[in-house]
Amino acid sequence: MKLKISDPQLLFLLVINLAILLVATVFSRGDFLDLYNFQSMASQLPELGLLAIGVALAMISGNGGIDLSGIGLANLAGVVAAATMPLLVAAPDAAPWTYTLGFIAVALVTGLVGGALNGWLISRGNLTPILCTLGTQMIFTGLAVVLTNGSSLRISVVDPISAIGNESVLGVPIPFIIFVALLLAVGWLMRYSLFGIKLYLLGTNARAARYAGISQNRLRFATYTLSGVLASVAGVIIAARTASVKADYGNSYLLIAILIAVMAGIRPQGGYGRMVCLFFSALALQLLSSTFNLLEISNFFRDCAWGLLLLCFLASARVSWRDFFPNSKAQLRKS
Amino acid sequence: MNKKSACVLGSALAAIGFASALQAQNKPIDIVTVVKITGISWFNRMEVGVKEFAAANPGVTTRQIGPAQSDAAQQQRLVEDLVAKKVDAIAVVSMDPPTLEPVLKRALDRGIKVVTHEADNQKNTLVDIEAFDNTAYGARLNDRLAACMGETGKWSSLVGSLGSQSQVQWADGGASNAAKKYPKMTLVDAKNESANDAEKAYAKAKEILRKHPDIKGFQGSSSLDVLGIGRAVEEAGLQGKVCVYGTGLPSEAAKFLESGAVGGIAFWDPKDAGLAMNKAAMMLVQGKKITDGMDLGIPGYNKVSVKKGPGVGVIVTGQAWVEVDKKNYKQYAF
Repeated sequence: MKLKISDPQLLFLLVINLAILLVATVFSRGDFLDLYNFQSMASQLPELGLLAIGVALAMISGNGGIDLSGIGLANLAGVVAAATMPLLVAAPDAAPWTYTLGFIAVALVTGLVGGALNGWLISRGNLTPILCTLGTQMIFTGLAVVLTNGSSLRISVVDPISAIGNESVLGVPIPFIIFVALLLAVGWLMRYSLFGIKLYLLGTNARAARYAGISQNRLRFATYTLSGVLASVAGVIIAARTASVKADYGNSYLLIAILIAVMAGIRPQGGYGRMVCLFFSALALQLLSSTFNLLEISNFFRDCAWGLLLLCFLASARVSWRDFFPNSKAQLRKS
Repeated sequence: MNKKSACVLGSALAAIGFASALQAQNKPIDIVTVVKITGISWFNRMEVGVKEFAAANPGVTTRQIGPAQSDAAQQQRLVEDLVAKKVDAIAVVSMDPPTLEPVLKRALDRGIKVVTHEADNQKNTLVDIEAFDNTAYGARLNDRLAACMGETGKWSSLVGSLGSQSQVQWADGGASNAAKKYPKMTLVDAKNESANDAEKAYAKAKEILRKHPDIKGFQGSSSLDVLGIGRAVEEAGLQGKVCVYGTGLPSEAAKFLESGAVGGIAFWDPKDAGLAMNKAAMMLVQGKKITDGMDLGIPGYNKVSVKKGPGVGVIVTGQAWVEVDKKNYKQYAF
């Protein structure tokens, strides 16, 4: 991917990432720069990252778009798959691939249906996205609680599904590969496909989009459905990484996913947002979180630091950094 | 990228390289206790034990961490980062044992010693510490109740819910103890459900008092049971005539202990559990084994029983119940 450093948001994110890395390395006396530590962080990142992509897509579509149901749907997808697979595959150990592929398929279909429900309610039912997805989030979590009685359900740990969560290819954890692949795919979709161009237009100016002959309903429906599918991929990764599914796993993820999206400079009013920024935003949060754990800083302070970081980003968006860094000698001489 | 930012980037990378050269050497044994959630009095009390252990054992550093929110995902991430940091031992009070299996397996694969608490179904642990055997605990509560009742008369028991395995085991342990040792005691209406609600326990106790005016004792299971029973007994003016014993927390039951409506409560002290977990972790790091009947040097863990767990490790069970009454409950501030 070609990085446009001229983008101030991206530059700021890169600087923040580098700064956290530097501070973490200095304070941990180099312990931070351990290959295993990076692998560990890379395998923690995708669950949240995928949910953040869903939130970002909903935000870009405009009209107050947001998806609060991501983690609920991710858990539901995992629960439905974990509950149905034993009925379909009697002996998972004898047919590990069937079990794994079946698990993924059921989870993805659940995500597709859940996302489509969101999309249908928002586009056809004309519901406000924040209220609609708040409602469906409760439905999804509630269904998962009913299916599991609220306790966690162990999945059959066969090699292929365990590998999705816990193995690496050439040192890169598989969840991270899945995340980056999907991020690139969505990034490509947003930048080069007709869908992306239309979505940006819709988010920027819904009326102009309508006069241009763009079907808002179909576009919003597709956006929320895609968000649902991404959530279900997160669900598969969670199930693989924890070898279990649980209705209320990651109940703190909801706000963090929104935080990642906002920090990435996705415009909450719609119409703008870059996936490469989303990547570095998610990375910054993960680096910060792992740094705090490594440096033995309280978890309460971490929430506080995230809030501060968010405010910094919001403030930085309002400040023109070029005023502070005159990069031509002519300007220097003038002052 | 212009020259200036390239320069900043370059110096940053150089600084990172320099810092990584400064590796620390000769580290003490690093044991980290991970609890379900930070900031609640139960785990604050556990932290007292965790800190006490480090103070008593030079060459060992301990600390306690836990998520700020009650979320299994956050606890899993904390453990994940500890595995990456490669501490010597992790002592974890699992929020949800199955969720932690893969990450604890990674910890074991990396040579980190894993100790758990209240997780007798955890597979990837070397030692699981249980405060006590549930049946023995119930029997012990029943002994105190019997002593108060003069080993004679009618008594009843309450449980939070019949689905709560440990509470049912406490109640059954009490019942079988009474049947064995105290022939003059009669159990009536056993295992009333209080739905883990002091209000329901109160209503239930009032009902039993009406039905059996000659009842002499109650054994509660949920920590809220004694609160409800205590209130009913107090209202009926039966303090000193009806004996009430059960699981409870000193801070909550203080009022009824003072008035005499509740004769005594029992619980396990998270401080001692913290000490026991860290002790077990240190022994594992030092390559020592915990054997049946061993004395860990911690109150309630003087003669532990060791049996095989569901996975690679063992389950170590103590007799670490703490019994308090009006006289000494103030020593326990939680």
